[in-house]
Amino acid sequence: MSGPGVGWYLIVAALLFGTGALGVMLRRSPLIVLLSLEIMLNAANLTLIAFARQHGSLDGQVFALVVMGVAAAEVAIGLGLIVAMARRRLPLDVDQASALRG
Amino acid sequence: MTYGAWICLLSPLAGALAITLAGERISRRAAGWISTLTTFAAFGGALVAFGALWARDHGDRQELSTAYTWLSVGDFEVGMEILVDPLASVMMLVVSGVGGLIVWYSMGYMAGDDEERRFFAYMSLFVFSMLLLVQAGNFLLLLAGWGLVGLASYLLIGFWHHRAEAVAAAKKAFVMNAIGDATFMLAAVLLVWETGTLEYLGVFEEVGGLSDTTVTLVALGLLGGAVAKSAQVPLHTWLPDAMEGPTPVSALIHAATMVTAGVYLLVRAHPIFEAAVEVQQLAAILGAVTLLVAGVIALVQWDIKRVIAYSTMSQIGYMFLGAGIGAYGFAIFHLLTHAFFKALLFLAAGVVIHHLADEQDIRRMGGLKDELPRTHVAFLIGTLALVGIPPFAGFWSKDAILAATVESGGALGWTLFLAGLAGTVLTGAYAFRLYFAVFHGPRGEAAAAHAGHGEGPRSMLVPVGALAGLSVVGGLVSIPGVWHPFTSWVDETGEPLVEPVASLEYLVSAIAVALGLVGVWLARRAFLADRQLVTSPEAWRVLEHKLYFDELYDALFYRPAEAISAGLLHNVEEPVVERSLDEIGSGTIQAGGGVARLQSGLLRSYAVAVAVAVVVLVVVFVAVR
Amino acid sequence: MAGFLVWVIWFAAAAACLGTGVAVVSFANPFYSALSLIGNLASLAVLYLLLSAEFLAAAQVLVYAGSVMVMFLFVLAYLGGRADAPWAGGPPLLRTAAIVAAVALLVEIVVVLGLAWGDNLSDPAEVTGAFGSPAAIGELLVTDHLLAFEITSIVLLVAAVGGVVLGTTREKEATE
Repeated sequence: MSGPGVGWYLIVAALLFGTGALGVMLRRSPLIVLLSLEIMLNAANLTLIAFARQHGSLDGQVFALVVMGVAAAEVAIGLGLIVAMARRRLPLDVDQASALRG
Repeated sequence: MTYGAWICLLSPLAGALAITLAGERISRRAAGWISTLTTFAAFGGALVAFGALWARDHGDRQELSTAYTWLSVGDFEVGMEILVDPLASVMMLVVSGVGGLIVWYSMGYMAGDDEERRFFAYMSLFVFSMLLLVQAGNFLLLLAGWGLVGLASYLLIGFWHHRAEAVAAAKKAFVMNAIGDATFMLAAVLLVWETGTLEYLGVFEEVGGLSDTTVTLVALGLLGGAVAKSAQVPLHTWLPDAMEGPTPVSALIHAATMVTAGVYLLVRAHPIFEAAVEVQQLAAILGAVTLLVAGVIALVQWDIKRVIAYSTMSQIGYMFLGAGIGAYGFAIFHLLTHAFFKALLFLAAGVVIHHLADEQDIRRMGGLKDELPRTHVAFLIGTLALVGIPPFAGFWSKDAILAATVESGGALGWTLFLAGLAGTVLTGAYAFRLYFAVFHGPRGEAAAAHAGHGEGPRSMLVPVGALAGLSVVGGLVSIPGVWHPFTSWVDETGEPLVEPVASLEYLVSAIAVALGLVGVWLARRAFLADRQLVTSPEAWRVLEHKLYFDELYDALFYRPAEAISAGLLHNVEEPVVERSLDEIGSGTIQAGGGVARLQSGLLRSYAVAVAVAVVVLVVVFVAVR
Repeated sequence: MAGFLVWVIWFAAAAACLGTGVAVVSFANPFYSALSLIGNLASLAVLYLLLSAEFLAAAQVLVYAGSVMVMFLFVLAYLGGRADAPWAGGPPLLRTAAIVAAVALLVEIVVVLGLAWGDNLSDPAEVTGAFGSPAAIGELLVTDHLLAFEITSIVLLVAAVGGVVLGTTREKEATE
């Protein structure tokens, strides 16, 4: 395989994952949290595909495909929740959704 | 031949189930008829089995019929099996025959009661249990029947559950019987341990090979069961209280059948008792003590049923006496005649109580001779049979037992004989005291229930008449020196240890009858002089407290148990158990409050927590790789 | 020469990927974030292609950029200005912890990669042209991974129903 080795892809995936994680942990808008989650999932997908290439096995790619399906489902639910929050006139701010406080 | 026995066993069970399952869909009368007819069907089955047994050769009259294996543990197996032999056939006939008459009588006696169906279901259950007891082919089934009759007795004593005394009496009977059940159970366990079987025939074969201690312990355990069930001293206090039950129950369970189960056990397990002579003698001594204790207490009782109850205890004392000295045939003979005349006495007393609107105090009775002429005759027959006046049934059986005590000889035999004779005087005195108080003298203050009630419906009078007839002729199946088919029939199951010669029997009979008449004369004299039999006030007080047995048990067992319970309550339960529960609860609440503060409600903090956990886990995974 | 070209493409795609990723996280307006995510997905698809995952690259563009992001934009349009959210805030301790955790995670990954680099990471397996083709993936999906495939379909169905339930206004709520 010409070009960069699999390790380089993994480093990109790691950086991407860190970026997404920071977004989830720092942002207060549920929409952006959701987008950051997508970034994390895609970083994981990139890792799966890179290892699939490394080992010459398609299983990793199939797994990535499944992750895509699950991600789509998650977005559907997440957006449904956001819409429901908006309908009830709840603030779109994860810090204010604090019913779990002990 | 065993199918008759199976019919005998199962038809009362079918009756009980039918009444229970039908519930309110059948009328009260139908419930009574189901119970009566199934009991008579059992009597028919018993007759068939008896006839088949009769047709067999001497020495071949024993058959074990196993329906299926009931219980199987390793090598130890117990079958659902019945043993049909001369002893069992006699008991089957007595239980189902007398039982059928009494259940029939109950239809009249219980008419109008709120819960007649329940009553008849219990009665059928009792008849089934008693038949299981006498037909069982092994000790475990016997124990099952033993427990079931105790249950039925408990249910029937407490039948009028709205009466506090009835409920208390039922509990007392159950607890006293439970003591006997426990010792019986221990004996059974010991038998399994030592012989590996519970089948009668297997156990009896092994008895010779057991150590003296084992046999004595087993015999003591069985005797404990017999003493409790048959209301012998010292476990007798429940029987007089059991009179709180309906009168037919007293007649069936607490006179004719269940209380004689102890005698049946003594005869059934005679090889074990013969191997433990001291225990067998103890049974005879307990019988003698009981017949005296019950006889003197009966002298001062005011309740018509309690007098008869004490006389039951006393008569069972005679049976224990007979079985204890090895006169098995005579003991069972007395059991048979006693079933007739004691059931008769109870049923006749039931007619009186019924007539007087549930009045049981003999001080408020009197002069009923003309009001209840037929009942009067029946009661008189029963009383004469009880006292042992010839030719009534009790005469033949009781005197045979007394003659056997003389024959057994030795200091013990003579002591028992004297006790039995003293009992005869007492019997004559208390029986006729009761008879005179109820039927003679001026008319008592208790008013009749309602005009024209008379002596009750036919369903009450026919059984009373039948039992009166049996009380007259029932003893003629064994006449010393003439013929003795009954005792030789029973002897096939238990070869007697003593057999008095006819001349001795005649002599003893003469003495016993004379002493019985002395008792009657004493009662008559006291009655005519309008005073009591016991004139000393101190003696009266002691007897009125039934020789302080209840007070003694109260002080020995109840009070200490209560004191211990109270001590445990105040010193253990409240400070330790309750407080610790409180502490556990409040501790949990506090811990929960502390943990809850970790829950900030800030979603992002949870995400950070997850991230930190992942960081740590990666380190762990790399480190342990 | 071909190797150099691949390096160039890889570098461009990786840079675009990371840049758009940072953009998604840092825009205040979710609309821009969503648009950046589309760029992120597209550059990832390029990386997939470089890793011989042709089918997944296509699916990435179709499923994510095509449908998921469209759904996102619809919701953004529905919410309008209410979607704008404060950039961050909250307890400073939380922010510090978040950044520390993310950096620590990154460092750990790099360390682990460095540990494994020498072994076989630079020596990928030889693959044929059929590797990553729709035919090969499809065959695996209906043979070895049939169960996962079916479960995914059920998960999607449940999510669809759940989305409908969450999005439906009931009478009572509407009047609240």
